[in-house]
Amino acid sequence: MADTINQATRKGFLVDTSRCIGCRSCQVACKQWNKTDADITSNKGTFENPRDLTPALFNRIRFVESEASGAVSWQFLNERCMQCGDAGCMKVCPSPGALYRTKDGIVAYNKEKCISCKYCVSACPFNVPRYDANDKVSKCNLCQSRIEGGMTPACAKACPTESLKFGNRSQLIAKATAAKKTLYGENDLLGLGVVYALEGPPEQYGLPAKPSIPMSIFLWKDVIKPLGILGFWGSIGAMLLHYVTIGPKKIDDETGKGDGHE
Amino acid sequence: MSNYIERFSTSERVLHWIVTASFFTLLLSGLGLYSRLFNGYFNLFGGGQNAILVHKIGGVIFFCSSIYMYLNHKKDVSTFDQDDKAWVEKRGGYLSRDAAHFNIGKYNPGQKLFALYVAAATAVLGVTGVFIWAPTLFPRWIVQISLLTHGLMFVGSIMFVIVHVYLATIGNPGTIDAMLYGDVKRGWAKKHHPKWYKETTGENP
Repeated sequence: MADTINQATRKGFLVDTSRCIGCRSCQVACKQWNKTDADITSNKGTFENPRDLTPALFNRIRFVESEASGAVSWQFLNERCMQCGDAGCMKVCPSPGALYRTKDGIVAYNKEKCISCKYCVSACPFNVPRYDANDKVSKCNLCQSRIEGGMTPACAKACPTESLKFGNRSQLIAKATAAKKTLYGENDLLGLGVVYALEGPPEQYGLPAKPSIPMSIFLWKDVIKPLGILGFWGSIGAMLLHYVTIGPKKIDDETGKGDGHE
Repeated sequence: MSNYIERFSTSERVLHWIVTASFFTLLLSGLGLYSRLFNGYFNLFGGGQNAILVHKIGGVIFFCSSIYMYLNHKKDVSTFDQDDKAWVEKRGGYLSRDAAHFNIGKYNPGQKLFALYVAAATAVLGVTGVFIWAPTLFPRWIVQISLLTHGLMFVGSIMFVIVHVYLATIGNPGTIDAMLYGDVKRGWAKKHHPKWYKETTGENP
């Protein structure tokens, strides 16, 4: 909640979907660098594979097939943790340091501090966090170790078409805006760390048009939590006040003819 | 003639304190989950992961004992009569220093309301707790609503419990005896539950 991001130095991705050829080099490079196991998948009549993010798959290409006036259009979307400026996962995480913001503005995580509550799974606006076999959170952290070593994330390094561009977020956005690209995620959720240049409406790519932290999660953390604390102390205060103003109902004498509060 | 009459049997008292113990176990193990502000409470259990485990075990004990307690007292706490209506109209006399007399049976409407709330909260907290327990097995929206509802019902519970503890101890001297030793003084019974006193002893209060 109260984590602050220096927007001037914030790092991020600009994903230009028009340049993506669906080669999935990003998927492969990610698995290689992060040393994640292969997932066993099955053919479901599409080239999209795997069909969803897994604890061992931090980014993947979503294949969007559509038909317009007889012609088939094929679009690709690199799907991953969006590194939200206002991150639902960080908002709900009860374990300090399990999910945290780096100086580059990235939502990083420490599995050793994860207490396996899975609140982040419910709070993510994009349904990204997955839990591994040890019941710990796993997701894309933009190759935190590479960034800190001055390198680009593995996926961006491997991308042959520069569809995935990594760098200073505001510079990437400025360049894309100058090129008259339609951007997604520039300002939503205090700006996504992964900004898209889309060729169509977000819904076409399976993205929420107005991404936001789920309403129930907002009510839980920003309304019920503070009001609950107020209610707790308010109840104790009310009881004490009752005791010293109106007072207890005492039993007058052993015959039980007690009369009110005297 | 003994100056005391029995209000709660041994089994009723033991059951009540099992519910109480599991409630406070759930409270302490759940505080750290309620907000990062209370992260320190995890230390009582040796870390968050253990606290979650304790919360799950405590939850099962609380759910079973609390539902059992409700079923045992269902008839007493879910029927309201005309005397109860008079009590409600004057808020049980709790908002004034003036003497008030009500012809109340074993439980007054406030106690009944508390019992009904606890029963409902137990059911809701139990069901939502299952969804939160294994969130990946259920649709996300169900788990999201559950997290919200679980927090809301907890807040209601702790507020009710504060009132319950106050009224059963310093707010009404003599009341706690009923839950500690099972017996209350005749004077207490005549004052607070005259109709019940008559039913139990056959004497006019």
